[in-house]
Amino acid sequence: MDTALVEPAPASSGGNPAVTYQPFATRRDEAIGDDGLLRPGWSDLFDSIQRHGPDGLTTWQSEIHRLSRERGLAYRPDRIEAGETSGNWSLGPVPWVFAKEDWKAIERGVSQRLRLFDAILGDLYGGQQRLFKEKLIPPQIILSHPGFLRALHDIPPRESCVGLGMAATDLGRDHSGRVFALNDRFDQPFGPGLALENRTIVNTVLPNLFRRNKVRRIGHFFVEWFDHLAECAPKHSSSARVAILDATQEDTDSEISFLANYCGILRVIPSDLTVRNGQVWLKTIGGLEKIDVLWKYTAGRELDPLETSRGFGRGIPGMFEALRRGNVAIASHPGCEVLQSPGLFPYLSKICQFLLGEPLLIPSVATWWCGDAAPRQHVLANLSSMVVKGVGPHGDFTTLYGSRLAEAELAEIRSRIEAQPERFVAQEELALSTVPVSTSSGLVPRGAVLRAFSFRGREGVPNVMPGGLARVTTEDGIVVSTREAGESKDVWVLDENYDAKVRISKQVRRSRLTSPETVTSHAAENLYWVGRNAERIDFISRFMTRILQGRTLGFAHATPDEIEHESILLEALFSLHECTGLLDAGNQADEKLLMVLRESDCPAGIGYHLRNFRRNTNLTREQWSTASILAIESICKGWSDNTENARSVFGYASPLESLQLNLAAFLGMNLDSMTRDHGWIMLDAGRRIERAVNTVKLLSFHVSNASPESIESLLNESILFISDSLGTYQSSYRKEPRTGPMARLLLGESDYPRSLLFLLERLQLVFAKLPEPVGFTHPGELIEPAREHLLSFCERLERDGDDTGAIRTYAEEDLETLGAQLNALSDHLTKSYFSHANRTIL
Amino acid sequence: MSNADRRYRIRHRTVYEYSGRIDLCHSYAHLAARQDENQKTESHSLTVLPEPDFRSERKDYFGNKVHYFSIESSHESLDVISDMVVRKEEASPALPSGEIGWEDLKEFHRATDQTGILLGNYILPTRACPFLGSVREFMEPSLSPGKDVMEVVHDLMSRVYREFDYTPGATGTSTALSEVMEKRKGVCQDFSHVMLAALRGVGIPSRYVSGYLETLPPPGKEKLQGADASHAWIEAWAPACGWVGFDPTNDTIPGDQHIKICHGRDYFDVQPIRGIFLGSGKQALFVEVDVERVEALEKE
Repeated sequence: MDTALVEPAPASSGGNPAVTYQPFATRRDEAIGDDGLLRPGWSDLFDSIQRHGPDGLTTWQSEIHRLSRERGLAYRPDRIEAGETSGNWSLGPVPWVFAKEDWKAIERGVSQRLRLFDAILGDLYGGQQRLFKEKLIPPQIILSHPGFLRALHDIPPRESCVGLGMAATDLGRDHSGRVFALNDRFDQPFGPGLALENRTIVNTVLPNLFRRNKVRRIGHFFVEWFDHLAECAPKHSSSARVAILDATQEDTDSEISFLANYCGILRVIPSDLTVRNGQVWLKTIGGLEKIDVLWKYTAGRELDPLETSRGFGRGIPGMFEALRRGNVAIASHPGCEVLQSPGLFPYLSKICQFLLGEPLLIPSVATWWCGDAAPRQHVLANLSSMVVKGVGPHGDFTTLYGSRLAEAELAEIRSRIEAQPERFVAQEELALSTVPVSTSSGLVPRGAVLRAFSFRGREGVPNVMPGGLARVTTEDGIVVSTREAGESKDVWVLDENYDAKVRISKQVRRSRLTSPETVTSHAAENLYWVGRNAERIDFISRFMTRILQGRTLGFAHATPDEIEHESILLEALFSLHECTGLLDAGNQADEKLLMVLRESDCPAGIGYHLRNFRRNTNLTREQWSTASILAIESICKGWSDNTENARSVFGYASPLESLQLNLAAFLGMNLDSMTRDHGWIMLDAGRRIERAVNTVKLLSFHVSNASPESIESLLNESILFISDSLGTYQSSYRKEPRTGPMARLLLGESDYPRSLLFLLERLQLVFAKLPEPVGFTHPGELIEPAREHLLSFCERLERDGDDTGAIRTYAEEDLETLGAQLNALSDHLTKSYFSHANRTIL
Repeated sequence: MSNADRRYRIRHRTVYEYSGRIDLCHSYAHLAARQDENQKTESHSLTVLPEPDFRSERKDYFGNKVHYFSIESSHESLDVISDMVVRKEEASPALPSGEIGWEDLKEFHRATDQTGILLGNYILPTRACPFLGSVREFMEPSLSPGKDVMEVVHDLMSRVYREFDYTPGATGTSTALSEVMEKRKGVCQDFSHVMLAALRGVGIPSRYVSGYLETLPPPGKEKLQGADASHAWIEAWAPACGWVGFDPTNDTIPGDQHIKICHGRDYFDVQPIRGIFLGSGKQALFVEVDVERVEALEKE
């Protein structure tokens, strides 16, 4: 979004927001007409705002904040970690309302623009290139764009691809009410999922208002979209397996996950796919599964590294060949990025007349290409009122606003244009119409841009989402860019005749879509690590709880033994996470504890593993129920909220307990509600392997570090507490803990769910349900030797009973062997089910 | 075709040996000679070992023939053998007149590219042929006001031949043009890229040509460089004469000893073999090229 306004908002006089709302005198306002009266469609909304008064808007806003946070909307771990609050998508409570007739015109214009760009795409790829032959556009604008993929010259968009796929059109209105297009996005249009998410939230907060006003629903748009995708499957294919191809680390991550969840479509990333025999296949734990249709949410330029990019990092080699052979349909045509160039704008009107035989209904903002002499002179003569853009890919050149540049900056851009004129266009700066936005000082007018979404369905009939994503300018009047813009709004299209009966998603022929139950290798790996990290966080937090208890409970008199006990526990924790070096850093015991409790980069710390846990859950969002997502949020957000004001280590005692409780809730919920598929097996395996590893390592540390005899039983008690087995031990043995019996309980007790023996047997049982991995032995086969070793070890423990001295002579070696066997098991899972071969390019 | 036509048999073998196992390989080859030039392919075969699981053929954007193949089971080497017989028309190359000054050409094709060949593709910078100050500077002495386009190209070719050292091994396929300009060393591919960047920088359409050069030196003449390997040269365009070849490695206008395979914007459009392997380990590459003149087989 590049259009801007600079006028300051008028000061608000407080009082009732609906009454005090004051649009700018010189600009069109979407809610209030020039006569000072509300425009059609807005009255009920304003009545409602008036009734609720200033507190009403505040309440709505805070409710929206809460819901967005809970739903993890547009969660951006990278940003939140960098301390930027903009990591959260912000949504305002006041929707942008369109009356039926007003919307009809927009719908017509957007439909036409879609048909137009589809026709241009067809002309460029596999077509006759009439635009060049008829000199309707300077070839350079297209030919110099890296998004024009010559490798696809023989792939007609509507035969092998889903034409343009889903398009996003940014619209703005000027003071006269005329609608202009500001941007067109086809390659990976940001926002359709956010529009749906915004709607879900606003609908929850304002249900009555929504229903009363007969707001058209947008969910059906997605139902038809996926239905259409399924129809695009290659003719000879008996099934129609559809998947969304995401790029993983992009900021659209959660938007796409959300859509995938909503529509029941599998979300995959490039490394999940492979091309064999000219077909596209999905790598799953159960083997290769064919994919017929992909909605790609990755850059077309990076789709097939064999034929396009030189970055080779991402993509699926052979994909274009599969496309050429007609073995897969892709939405959209991977070469559509070139159509996003603002270099097309000056020529669209003529192209529309030529290709469609119709006048262009929604024109682009007035634009001049500097590659031709006459327009260039116009641009250079009016530079201070122009918006300068590059004709290359979005993001290659930062848009400049002439009106905000100093003389020197203007001179610099002038010389850049003169040196390489064909690389630039310049546009008129549009004074955007305003919408009411709720702020701390009441309702104020802010410039707004509407992003409309559309696609061409069966027989090319355009389908426009009845709504969209509205973004408003920031306080200083600048819309920075699509992804960083200040605030978004829901878009309400009113229609009193609209059939309010929801056509539920049964129209999506679910049987024909890829089942989300399919577990890709990459999802499996992340689920495995969700399990491991959840257990690990629990383990560390129990360590900390025990240490804090040691300081506060009855046995705390800071005797030398107790101080020794605490430092041994800390050393154990850091040694288990292979970072004992860090212990030298803090002099005070408290500083060491705070490393674990507060710092985010200490490998023995809670924050460190919470971050990984968050990442793993984020990458597997579609695996989680709404309740699980809430539980994940409670674990992560709960910990940071609860510890925000902790002044000393003692302030962490209660947050630690909540953390353990939240983890238990999350893990218990999954036990109850997840289907026992391969994904669940991996989550379960991760938990059990982590627990087994921790038990073995902790005991190993204990037997290999001679501690004073006076604190042996205290240490044993702590180990039992950390292993969540203190109660069990006490009820079984009814005496103070001794190393031998403790080890027997934690290792060899056959019916005790926390014992190593039980864990191994349980793993053997769940692994039995996994398929034989290709080229590797079944992981179940690695368990038997570990189990046999464990049994013989336990026999010796049994023989030596309470004789700690005797046990120490061999236990260390036995535990080390067990530890190595467990690590080998984890590595084996990685190699046989998760990892993808290295890639070499010649 | 006349009796003076020459027939060449060209065998081009590329062998990759891997230190580890390769599980999957996607590859394509630009190894078949174009049919639209003054030459005719009488036979061509492309043998791939191990036998690919999937093969296909197509024409690329520039009209070159492309063979695609994938090998989907474990293999430790890849052997690609291209074997063809090409008949080349007799030619006594001479420098034609472009009938247009180099300055005028720039506006000529921008205003009206009615050739149907989209010259726009051949006047833009590319990854291998960026517009550099050093290249523009190098171009300068070849330019004088009103000079015929073909004269400009010819002069540039001779200067590249004289001022750059032919040094195999001094550069690789990924050496940047800036480095070539600095070292003034390289091979046929680098010299072609230098010419292309220089010509396009002043608006003269030009394209990269991959091909082969006859091995045997004609009696009494110096042995031409570039033998026993793939060769590369360029073609430049003017409205009066169309595309004309220039070989900066040998300071010559290609004739019937130059067998053309493909053309594109730069080396990367016509790379003989390009592939992506999934697997581990290092690779070793061997290339053998044989170009021999053969007699026509009498038809019985």
